[in-house]
Amino acid sequence: MNTSVKKLVTGIGASIALMGAGSAFAEIKIGIAGPMTGPVAQYGDMQFSGARMAIEQINSNGGVMGEKLVAVELDDVCDPKQAVTVANRMVNEGVRFVVGHLCSSSTQPASDVYEDEGILMITPASTSPAITERGYELIFRTIGLDSMQGPVAAEYLASLNPERVAVIHDKQQYGEGIATAVRDTLLENDVEVPMFEGITAGDKDFSSLVTKLRDADVDYVYYGGYHPELGLILRQARQTNLDAVFMGPEGVGNKDINSIAGEAAEGLLVTLPPAFDEKAENQALVKAFEDKKEDPSGPFVLTSYAAVQLVAEGIELAESKDPFEVAEALRSNTFSTPIGTVEYDSKGDMKSFEFVVFEWHSDGSKTPVN
Amino acid sequence: MQDLLYFIQQLINGLTIGSAYALIAIGYTMVYGIIGMINFAHGEVYMIGAYTALITITGLTALGIAWLPLILLVALLCAVIVASSMGWAVERIAYRPVRGRHRLIPLISAIGMSIFLQNYVHLAQGSRNMGFPLLIEGGFRFGAEDSFQTSISYMQITIFVTTLICMTALSLFIARSRTGRACRAVSQDLGMSNLLGIDTNKIIAATFVIGASLAAVAGLLLGMYYGSIDPLFGFIAGLKAFTAAVLGGIGSIPGAMLGGLILGVSESMTSGYLSGEYKDVVSFGLLILILLFKPTGLLGKPEVEKI
Repeated sequence: MNTSVKKLVTGIGASIALMGAGSAFAEIKIGIAGPMTGPVAQYGDMQFSGARMAIEQINSNGGVMGEKLVAVELDDVCDPKQAVTVANRMVNEGVRFVVGHLCSSSTQPASDVYEDEGILMITPASTSPAITERGYELIFRTIGLDSMQGPVAAEYLASLNPERVAVIHDKQQYGEGIATAVRDTLLENDVEVPMFEGITAGDKDFSSLVTKLRDADVDYVYYGGYHPELGLILRQARQTNLDAVFMGPEGVGNKDINSIAGEAAEGLLVTLPPAFDEKAENQALVKAFEDKKEDPSGPFVLTSYAAVQLVAEGIELAESKDPFEVAEALRSNTFSTPIGTVEYDSKGDMKSFEFVVFEWHSDGSKTPVN
Repeated sequence: MQDLLYFIQQLINGLTIGSAYALIAIGYTMVYGIIGMINFAHGEVYMIGAYTALITITGLTALGIAWLPLILLVALLCAVIVASSMGWAVERIAYRPVRGRHRLIPLISAIGMSIFLQNYVHLAQGSRNMGFPLLIEGGFRFGAEDSFQTSISYMQITIFVTTLICMTALSLFIARSRTGRACRAVSQDLGMSNLLGIDTNKIIAATFVIGASLAAVAGLLLGMYYGSIDPLFGFIAGLKAFTAAVLGGIGSIPGAMLGGLILGVSESMTSGYLSGEYKDVVSFGLLILILLFKPTGLLGKPEVEKI
C-alpha cells in the first residue's frame, strides 16, 4: 500500500514535471525582478507595469520568432540579500533574460549571478556607474548613469548663482554616488559646499540635521537618496522655518513623497528622465496604458517597456535565444524605442541618455524648469 | 551667542527624542525587573500603537471631526487600548506557556512574536511609508531675526509634558498603589510573593500592559513628530529604547528615563557637532564604555544571588 502510494505520487510528480518541460519549448521566459513590496515598491509598480505591457503587445503581434514571451515575476524588496536569492531562483526557473533589478544596490550583487550563469540582464532603473564597470558581457541598462544625473543637477544649481549649497546623502551606493558627483561638479563651478554628510537610511529623526542646515545658512540643499528620508527632512525643515530649496535625484521623485511631506514638497527640484509619455511618437502606447487604467508617467515605466522590447528585438536580430549572441546583437545595432534611439557602448551603457530638471508640486504633479 | 543658541537647539532636539526613548524603555525595564526577560516584541507593540493612532486620526477626520483635542484624545485612547491588549496577548502567548523554562526559550518566542507582528502589519497595512497629518503646528522662537534662531515647537513641548506626566503617574502608581506594591514584591521574589497570596500571573500581565500603554503613547507622539511611519519603525526605535534601558540600568525605572535622555542628547550632539554618520557609533560606544565601568548600567543595582 505504502509503496504504491509513493509510486503514484512519483508518477504524478514526473508527469507534471514533463508537462512543465513540454510547454517550456514553445515560450521564452522573461524574468522581471524588482520590489513588489518594501519602502520603494512604488517604483517596482512602474517597472512591472511597463514590462507587462511590452510582453502583452509583443505577444499579440505574434511573439518573438513565433514563440510567446512569458513573464516570471519575482520580488527582491530592493534588498541586496533578497536580490541574490531572486537571481538564483531565476536560474532555477530556466530564465535566460531578465529585466531588472531596480535599486542599484540590488542590481550589483544580482548581476554577478546572471553574468556567471549566462543570463542577459537589462536594468531599467539602476543608475550606479559601478554596475557596468566590471567588464561584464551580459549586463545592460535602459537608463542613464548617476555620473550623468549628478552633473546635470549641479550645473543647474550653479546656474542659479547660489552662495552656499549643502550636499546630504543616505550613505548607500545610489545616493552617495550621485551626491559625490554633485559636490565635485559644484566645487568645479566655484560654489561653496559647507556641508557634505551622510544620514542613516531608515532614520526618522532629522531635527539635528535640520538645525545644522539652518546654522550653515545654505541657499540650496542637494539630497542623494530616496523619498522616505527626504520627505521627512522636508517636513521637519518646514516646521523649523528652514528656507533653503531642496533638490534630489529621480529616487525622490514620486507621489509618495507628497503623503509624507505634504505642503513641504512644493518647490522641490528633481532630476528625472524626460517625460517620455509626453512625446508625440509615444501617444499610441500611452493610450494603451490608459486603457488598462495604468499610469505611464512614472520614470521607469517606459524604460522597462524598452528593456523588454530590446530583449525581443535582440533575439530576432541574433536569430538565437543564446544570451551571448543576443548581447552581441544589442551591442552592434541601433534600436528605436519609446525612450528614444538606443545604442550601446562596449560596457552596456547607453551612449546618450538625457536628464531634465523638474519642479515638484504639493499635489504630486511636476513641471519642467529648463 | 549664536553658538549658544545652536547648542540649546541641539539640546532641545536631543531631549525631545530622548524622552520618547525613555517612554518606550519603561516597557523593557519593567518586564526585565519582574521576570528577568527581555520583551523583544515591545518595539512592535509601539509600532502598532502608532498605526492604530494614525488609523483613528484618519477615520475621525473622514467623519468630519475637526476639534483637535478630541481627535488626539480618541487616538490616544484607541492606541493605548489596542497596544495594551497586544502587550497582554504577547505575554499570554509568547511568555506564560514557556515561563520557568530555560532563559533562551522565551527569548526566542519573543523574537518570533516580533517578526510575526512586523510581517502582519506589512501585510495588513502595506509596507510603504504612511504620512501622519500635521496636527500640532508652530512654536516659540528665540534669538535675533536675521541670524540663527532657537525654536521649540508645540509638538516638542507636547512630547516633554506628556512624558513628564506619564513618568510621574507611573512612579506614583508603583510607589503608592496596591498593584504597584505587588509589582515591587514580585520583582524582589516571585516565589515568595506567590506564597503570600499575590496573584503573580496577574501582576506579570499588568507589567506587560503598562509597558505597552506607554509605548502606545510614544507611538502616537513620535508618529506625529517625525511625520511618517512604516512597519519597520518599531524595530529601530525598540533597539534604541532597549539600549537606553541597559544604559540606565535595566530593571530600574528612573534608570530608563536617565538612559533615554542620555541616548537622545548624545545622538543629537553627535549629529550637531560631528556628523550624522557617527551618531550610532558614538551612542553605542558610550553604551560599551558605561557597561565596562558599571556593568549594571548607571542606576542598576548589582544582582545579588538569591539563596
